Amino acid sequence: MFLIFKRLWQVNWAEQWQYRANLLMYLLYWLVSPIIYLAVWTSIATANGDVKGFTANDFITYYMVLLICDQVTSNIVIHTFGYKIQDGSLSGELIKPIHPMLTNALVNNVAFKILTMFGLTPIWIILFFLFQPDFSSVTLTGILLAIPAMMLAFLIGYFQSAAITALAFWTTRVYSIHEFYFALILLFSGQFVPLPLMPQLIQDIAQYLPFQLMLYYPIQLILGNLSTEQIIQGYVMTGVWLVISWLIFNWVWRKGVKKYSAVGA
Amino acid sequence: MHSLKLIYAFLKMNIQMSLAYRADTVVNILLNLMWLGWELLSLNIIFSNTQTLGGWGIGELIALLGVFRLVNTLMIALIWPNTEKFNQSIRDGSMDYTILQPANSMFLVTFSRITVWRFWDLILAIILIVIGINMSGDLITAPQILTFILLALSGIIVIYSLWIVLIALTFWFTKFDNNVTILQALLDAGRYPATVYPVWLRVIVTFIIPIAVATTIPLQALRGELAFNQVLIFFFIGVASFIIASRVWKSGLKRYSGASS
Repeated sequence: MFLIFKRLWQVNWAEQWQYRANLLMYLLYWLVSPIIYLAVWTSIATANGDVKGFTANDFITYYMVLLICDQVTSNIVIHTFGYKIQDGSLSGELIKPIHPMLTNALVNNVAFKILTMFGLTPIWIILFFLFQPDFSSVTLTGILLAIPAMMLAFLIGYFQSAAITALAFWTTRVYSIHEFYFALILLFSGQFVPLPLMPQLIQDIAQYLPFQLMLYYPIQLILGNLSTEQIIQGYVMTGVWLVISWLIFNWVWRKGVKKYSAVGA
Repeated sequence: MHSLKLIYAFLKMNIQMSLAYRADTVVNILLNLMWLGWELLSLNIIFSNTQTLGGWGIGELIALLGVFRLVNTLMIALIWPNTEKFNQSIRDGSMDYTILQPANSMFLVTFSRITVWRFWDLILAIILIVIGINMSGDLITAPQILTFILLALSGIIVIYSLWIVLIALTFWFTKFDNNVTILQALLDAGRYPATVYPVWLRVIVTFIIPIAVATTIPLQALRGELAFNQVLIFFFIGVASFIIASRVWKSGLKRYSGASS
């Protein structure tokens, strides 16, 4: 098994490396929104002194950490896998004795992620000097606690996106469904603004959904804003949602593969 | 007249093509409404936490959202589909047939693909602009509205011209098929007044990829913040960028030699 992953890694790493120009464009595309939100909210905080207790520096540190968390916990499986089901090129992978979604596609995502991390690092350092955040509340324990939390949150998001991607076995409109899913993330994850500034109703719902585990929770962990109780609660939620997401993915995938009849066959 | 007839023909052709995907159109319109809901909610969140954003009220930001959506419609209804077709035609040489036709090639490349259902977005954008202007109170005078329309049009021409230059670069560098992504990447910066951005970001979205020229500047005209000579300058920037773009297009076309030869 280890050998399989090693070989998959070599192939996918080489493949991603080949598209590095596209990757830079993707990175630029993906960076702009958080930087704009940062600018908007720091301008509001500076004009009013603070926003419900959030100072300008709180916003700067929030979005600076968000850039990293989002990069770690997001995935691109819909773009790298969806078309394979639609054009039938999945057939070749299905006859291999390994799960296409849990081996090849997963390794491909991780390779993509590590490569974008290389691109993000220098940009992040430049932004650090431009915005001069005060990270004094960050502790080593917070970072160490956030790393496994982010990895598990990545898996939650991966299983969910993979389940949506697998809907391509039935419909050609998976991209529209995924767009809707993306809107849910925007609404409930704390991507637009720290969750306490969202309307009360959204906050109440967000508590129970997995999306805040992908951004808001790890950001707060890193910034050291959580009590021990909240940390445990977050980890329990992560565990529960990981199991649920896995079960959903597994169920959709099994049904889908049975339904699958390749184009041209 | 000739070009109007051509646009009519292109429209008819594109409507026929899109009629094959009726259900997709419905889904797309629903998604579009969802995003509009999100955009209005996000403005509501911002203004439930502050009175003004960089001195602008919520009405002005709704009008700005309308202008942003105009630019966005231009991107999605014309620029993206035509870029795709253009890049393809450079790679496989089908650009030959475009040049051979007895019409301006820049015109053909601009209008041959139109995402028809996006016209609905145009109407939405205009509704947003009207509502926004109404909400921002009675301080707005007729000349301000006129300069607003004038500068919004000239801003859109600036974006359009930049696009022409970007795709014309493909004549020199065939591999440059990421040409429009950079435009799309910075587009989101047009949602908010550029005046709240840090200086470096303002410089980028005003001078390098001039999204703000099409979004913030017309709104500043609406607010009466621009002096008469500034309005003239921005209007001439629109005219000049169109002339430059046509020049670049023509000299690029001279470099074109077909994919097979």
